[in-house]
Amino acid sequence: MLRRGVLVGALILSVVAGGTPARSADPPEIPLTIENHRFTPEEIMVTAGTSFVLVITNKDATPEEFESHDLRIEKVIPAGKALRLRMPALKKGTYNFIGDFNQSTAKGRIIAE
Amino acid sequence: MGATFVVTLREAFEASLILGIVYAYLDRMGGRRYYGYVTLGAVVGFLASLALGVTVTLLSGPLVDLGPDLIGLAVIFGAAALLTWHGWWMRQHARQIKGDVQRRLEAALTARRLWVVGLIAFTGVFREGAETVLFLWGLMSQATDTGTWSNVLVGVAGIALAAGLGWAVFRSGRHVSLPRFFAITSVVLLLVAAGLFSTGVGRLQGIGWLPMSEPLWDTSHILNDHGFLGSLFGGLVGYRARPSTPEVVAYLAFVALAGLLVVGPGLARHRRALALAGKRSREHP
Repeated sequence: MLRRGVLVGALILSVVAGGTPARSADPPEIPLTIENHRFTPEEIMVTAGTSFVLVITNKDATPEEFESHDLRIEKVIPAGKALRLRMPALKKGTYNFIGDFNQSTAKGRIIAE
Repeated sequence: MGATFVVTLREAFEASLILGIVYAYLDRMGGRRYYGYVTLGAVVGFLASLALGVTVTLLSGPLVDLGPDLIGLAVIFGAAALLTWHGWWMRQHARQIKGDVQRRLEAALTARRLWVVGLIAFTGVFREGAETVLFLWGLMSQATDTGTWSNVLVGVAGIALAAGLGWAVFRSGRHVSLPRFFAITSVVLLLVAAGLFSTGVGRLQGIGWLPMSEPLWDTSHILNDHGFLGSLFGGLVGYRARPSTPEVVAYLAFVALAGLLVVGPGLARHRRALALAGKRSREHP
């Protein structure tokens, strides 16, 4: 048991790289709405290197899952609820996301520059 | 509709593959009477998925924002550890198996470890269970006419097919020799565990406990992880078209270190012992 704990601990330590990027005191809030199984807006512009908070409001009557492989996030947002997602400072680039429960219509991207 | 089928098929197969393997393990180890432990684990996993789905839907607040993430992480890392442990056992079994006589002894040993097998069944179902429950519930709430109801049926059909595939995995476990059964399932479970571990590391990045980093490579043109096959491999063994450095390091380190435990340097010795036993049994039938 101990050996396995040490093994897992060693593995985790071996992948932690560098320090955490500095966070601004008051990160900006960016609203994202889910309505009719679509994201609004479908394109979100953010400043690279600054963390922010994504406030996702699900106005549909059914749950949706905000999923982004690029951001490694999978969060279910129940019907009628709002979720505050603290996003880390992003490097320049485009980060795609989808609504996993309605993939044909719910998609968007965050562009950091 | 096709998308619905693919989603439920993929999510359910991640569970049914594991269930098929652990049922097959009990079957080969003379532990058929212990099937109930696996079934119990799976049922509890399903009930826990329902409970989590209901909780997330009804409650609000910071606990609900972070709670499911933490539960998810605990299940992911717990499952990786359990699968590795199980793979290590099977290696111990493989060393001792010389014939049917051993099977009765092995059944007794297996019985002592039933709680682990049950837990593996639980994590297998619970890992994606809450999501699938919410997905299907969403479909059912939207179902107002035959068109949308058929979508619900399609979703259920995906689960049914996944169960069938898991059953096929279980049955095929009987048609290979015992050493080969252990060899194949050990490798499969090791890859699944490595995928879980690196997914967990990725999630740590996602929730900000590990720093974000750029993708190490991009193989989307070879296998897109948003397509059917790509997301299937993603769910099963942790394939990512654009993996981050921590995810890659975690995967390789896990395969290397856990691989030592599960496959190990004893393999060469074991092969020689098996060859010797085979030679002896041919000389003295």
